[in-house]
Amino acid sequence: MNKIIIILAVLVAILLSSSLYTVNETQVAIKLRLGEIVAVENEPGLKFKTPFVNNVVTFDKRIQTLDSAAESFLTVEKKNVVVDSYVKWRIVDTQKFYISTGGAMSSANLRLAQNNQDALRSEFSKRTIIEVVSDEREAIMASVKGKLKSIAEDEYGIEVIDVRIKRIELSQEVRNSVYSRMETERKGLANKYRSEGAEEAEKIQAFADKERTIILANAYRDSEKVRGNGDAISASNYAEAYNQDVDFYSFYRSLESYKKSFNQQGDVLILNPDSEFFRHFNPSE
Amino acid sequence: MSQKQNGAEMAWNDNNNQTPPELDEVIKDFKNKFNSTFGGSSSGKSGASKAAKGSFKYILILAVIVWLLTGIYIVDPAERGVVLRFGAFQTSTTQGPHWHIPYPIESVYKVNVEQVRATEIGFRNTQNSYSGGVSSESLMLTKDENMVDVNLAVQYKIVDAKAYLFNVYQPELTLSHVVQSVIRQVVGDNTMDHVLTTGRDQVAQEVKTASQALLNDYGVGLMITAVTMQDAQPPIQVKASFDDVVKAREDEQRYINEARAYANDIVPKARGASQRIMAEAEAYKSQVVSKSEGEAYRFTQILTEYLKAPEVTKERLYRETLEDVLSSTNKVIVDSSSNSLMYLPIDQLINSNRTSKTSSTVNTFQQTPSGQDDQSVLRSRENR
Repeated sequence: MNKIIIILAVLVAILLSSSLYTVNETQVAIKLRLGEIVAVENEPGLKFKTPFVNNVVTFDKRIQTLDSAAESFLTVEKKNVVVDSYVKWRIVDTQKFYISTGGAMSSANLRLAQNNQDALRSEFSKRTIIEVVSDEREAIMASVKGKLKSIAEDEYGIEVIDVRIKRIELSQEVRNSVYSRMETERKGLANKYRSEGAEEAEKIQAFADKERTIILANAYRDSEKVRGNGDAISASNYAEAYNQDVDFYSFYRSLESYKKSFNQQGDVLILNPDSEFFRHFNPSE
Repeated sequence: MSQKQNGAEMAWNDNNNQTPPELDEVIKDFKNKFNSTFGGSSSGKSGASKAAKGSFKYILILAVIVWLLTGIYIVDPAERGVVLRFGAFQTSTTQGPHWHIPYPIESVYKVNVEQVRATEIGFRNTQNSYSGGVSSESLMLTKDENMVDVNLAVQYKIVDAKAYLFNVYQPELTLSHVVQSVIRQVVGDNTMDHVLTTGRDQVAQEVKTASQALLNDYGVGLMITAVTMQDAQPPIQVKASFDDVVKAREDEQRYINEARAYANDIVPKARGASQRIMAEAEAYKSQVVSKSEGEAYRFTQILTEYLKAPEVTKERLYRETLEDVLSSTNKVIVDSSSNSLMYLPIDQLINSNRTSKTSSTVNTFQQTPSGQDDQSVLRSRENR
């Protein structure tokens, strides 16, 4: 009797556990009846199913990331750029998603990646590098997102939340030419700084030289004025004094000159005894 | 992911919506239940089996109690607890001890919402250096088609535990993707000089705002607290020429400073020289004026005396002067009245005079100490 009860209880427990299932907060579930979809469980919680008849497939309904491998595209000027992008998506139409992908996340990612590449390629082929890098980056992302969104929603039951370009990189050859351009630009800049420094230095030096010349010239002018003034005063002093008796001045001045001229031991004077000085030298006369 | 399963601990209280029954009641309740199911039906059995049944009952009760105790968990002040019932979000709890209906009915995730976490973009120790390593993460194109090497550090914390747990698969990776995308966009919108020099803080700020906006769009439940640009440099291949520009700037300043030094040297010197020239001129003026005044005065004085006795004075002056002159010079008196031709060796006269002078100088030098002989001879030669 007791054994029967225990066996019954175990049976009930098995039955109950196989007819109950939980859908997590991060999940959505599809209930199949012998391969046919009978219900989509979007709300989390404890759910029932008929054992052996129903089976349940769950999917992650969180936002998924498709991080596609870096791919190289050609821009309109035929330059190669390597583009790395990601797509954020999540399942919105569980039934469609299950049917179109067979419920495999990886297959959804693969298809999205292909669509993403195609959309990016067509956008890049319309634009130049500079547009791609800065001006129209936003526009490209918006356009790819739009395309991808409609495709994914219609075909895979996926909502594309965002498509963003992570990095745009130039190919090695283009990069080298960018480097050499950067180098020449820098060289130009360095030369500019040095030359500007030399220019400024030259200016300062020339100004200083000018200043010096002007100062000295002004000083010369002023000093000559002062000297001239002194000469004038002395000339007027002399003139005033000597004008009193011009004859005596010339006599007096001559004597001064003799004294100054003949005052050296080496000087030899050859004299005639008839001269005025020797008037009394020869008393016979 | 950093959620931890519950751990049972000491006391528990019932903040929970579930309002679990008090422990005593629980035990009583289960006793009653078990009595009614097993005990009631097996009342007519033997004593031995009854005793076995009794111990089985207590084991069962004990198991239930242990099972209930596993529902106790403690939330730290920095944490939020998120309670799920059969996988569906039930409630979230804050700091303190809590109880949830034990597994498999309810489960708890604990998330630290205060801890500031950090991730790096472009660093050597970055966690996600997939697809080509670190330099591919840090090297980016600027608006003017140059390349810069930018390293970012991002600090963030979890603000919405529920969103963090349930909205996005791999929230941290999402953050990293978002920041990588945004930094390239911002750098691509700016020129290289701006990114490398003045715009660094602004770039970091823009990255923060734009990244946060995207994270909010995705509902990641993360908040970026700080974005700092650790390093922004030109690529290693062109670093030398960038350094040269810095050097050129220094050179520019050096040239200017040198020129200033030159100017500061010569201009004051010129001013000094001009002062000297002026002073010399003033001195000259004073000199000539004083001299003229003196000489004029002297002349006037003599003139006054001369006018008193012109003949005598004139004669006296003349003779005195001749005396002066003749006393200090060599003289040859030639009588021109005799008509004979005369040979006058003027050269010898002058030379003999010179020789007598020099010989006397030589004599004085010979008296000097012998050590200075060379010099003395040299000097005497010069004199000659």
